[in-house]
Amino acid sequence: MRERLPAWSSAFASDALQMLRPIQPIDDIDREWAWGGSSGQGVKVAVIDSGVDATHPAVGRVDGYVAISEGPDGLAYDTEPHEDVFGHGNACAGIIRALAPDCEIYSVRVLGPRLSGRGSVFAAGLRWAIENGMQVCNLSLSTSKKDFFGVLHELADQAYFAHVMLVAAANNMPGASYPATYASVFSVASHDIEDPYLFYYNPKPPVEFGAYGIDVRVAWANGGWQTATGNSFATPHIAGLVAKILSKHPDLTIFQMKAVLRALAANVSRDQAGRERPETEPIEAGNEEPPLRRR
Amino acid sequence: MTDEPRAGDQDTLTWAQETIARQAEEIERLRRQLADERFAENLRETLTLAVAVGTIASPVTHSRLLEMIVETAAHVISARAAALFLIDEEAQELVFEVALGSKAEEVKKFRVPLGHGIAGLVAMTGQPMAISGAEGDPRQAADIARSVGYTPQSILCVPLFYHDQIIGVLELLDKERAPSFSTTDIEDLGLFANQAAVAIEQSRTNRNLAALFGEVLKSIGGVTDGQRQELQERARAFAEHLEEDTAFRQALDLARLVQEIAHQGENELRGCQAILRGFAEYLRSRPEPVSGLRDML
Repeated sequence: MRERLPAWSSAFASDALQMLRPIQPIDDIDREWAWGGSSGQGVKVAVIDSGVDATHPAVGRVDGYVAISEGPDGLAYDTEPHEDVFGHGNACAGIIRALAPDCEIYSVRVLGPRLSGRGSVFAAGLRWAIENGMQVCNLSLSTSKKDFFGVLHELADQAYFAHVMLVAAANNMPGASYPATYASVFSVASHDIEDPYLFYYNPKPPVEFGAYGIDVRVAWANGGWQTATGNSFATPHIAGLVAKILSKHPDLTIFQMKAVLRALAANVSRDQAGRERPETEPIEAGNEEPPLRRR
Repeated sequence: MTDEPRAGDQDTLTWAQETIARQAEEIERLRRQLADERFAENLRETLTLAVAVGTIASPVTHSRLLEMIVETAAHVISARAAALFLIDEEAQELVFEVALGSKAEEVKKFRVPLGHGIAGLVAMTGQPMAISGAEGDPRQAADIARSVGYTPQSILCVPLFYHDQIIGVLELLDKERAPSFSTTDIEDLGLFANQAAVAIEQSRTNRNLAALFGEVLKSIGGVTDGQRQELQERARAFAEHLEEDTAFRQALDLARLVQEIAHQGENELRGCQAILRGFAEYLRSRPEPVSGLRDML
């Protein structure tokens, strides 16, 4: 007779145990396996920022909107289409769109004309994204207010267990900024090699990934463009790649996704294992299924 | 200044009237205080408090400090021009404080709503940022163009953090001999901005204290302008003297410790008294740091 297991252990009882699909051995993972042929289709990406303009040619399409603001009666959620008040959201959405052309972009506007209440609006935006089925969240913003450490941490944990990938810009300024410093997020800083597919893994986190974020040509407000530098612009490169990978491998957990990204990082040498170095030329997302690489 | 009402506001008149009424009351109260000689005691307490929180008059005025910050930043990072904005939380605006560069001296203070421009964006995201080649949308550089009198080709903007709050932003314009600012520039300016923010906040508290003294002294009736000026001079000298007096600072530290120990219990306090007695004698041998006050008034 089987003993009754405590609540958390019930998932491991023989009759409840779920069989999971294996993933490729980490050392065999290459770009082709990770995102070859993927256009990010079916993946919901939230751009938690200053809004996104569907009319900007770099953005193309916005699948959903929510603008959050703090009013006298508490938080207000407006799901009518909106614009990007700064251009910053367009910059992020444009980078994600270029990497994952068929992903679904949702504009979660939390940056508005007011600074006060920003922390709670930011947290509300993140909560909305987690509760509304977003799979990837681009967070090119941070707060340094300690009051929000707890609430954002709780949301980041919630996202982690729900497999919602939070990609957050590290802040180059001294002092902690949230949520980029949490272990559950993909934290991103910048490198200057003009290749949107090239990224590095940092063996000494808190900042785990380095992506193209210096002198990046980005979409801006009113249909405009400009050259921008900052971790804000490195972050959507990782978010775009995560969306691309997730579209092809929807079952990946956050720890698996991090392992995949690490395996693909340009500073991970494969020489010791007698394997080739990862390719450096970008693979364009197309409709054709590229041939499977066999070793 | 950040604590001034906005010109043209409907509420400005009411605000002003209320302020005048409040000030009149305050003046009357202070007159009475002066009459019963408690004023001197209050002023001494205020100064002591100021010393305790380390905000006594520095040799640099607030506006000069802001200028120095902007000048230093522009010099170190090799920028053609620079500007500094502080956040007015109440009005939700960025207050343009100082600019360095061509035509900068012609520019008067102005305010920008937080929700636009690079300065506003940096204040909102908390992320340092550099941009260049914004030919598509000159509006986003409009605030800065207004501050220095021309439209810059490249901008580097970092937030000013004090503790965990963003108190303003520092902007550099047009990197010399390069089309844009580098990540090293961002990092350097970020480090500098943190130091600057601390100096600004401390100076701001100090400026408010100076303003408080100014108002208090102004409100004393029956003195000539010359006498008032002399009072101000002596108050400033007195404050500086306190700041420099090591014995006084030690005494303050000890007073705080004693207070803490007293909360622990009577035995602890008695032990503390024995230890401190020797030190107290040493202090008595020093010049009385607040003795100048009675002469001053």
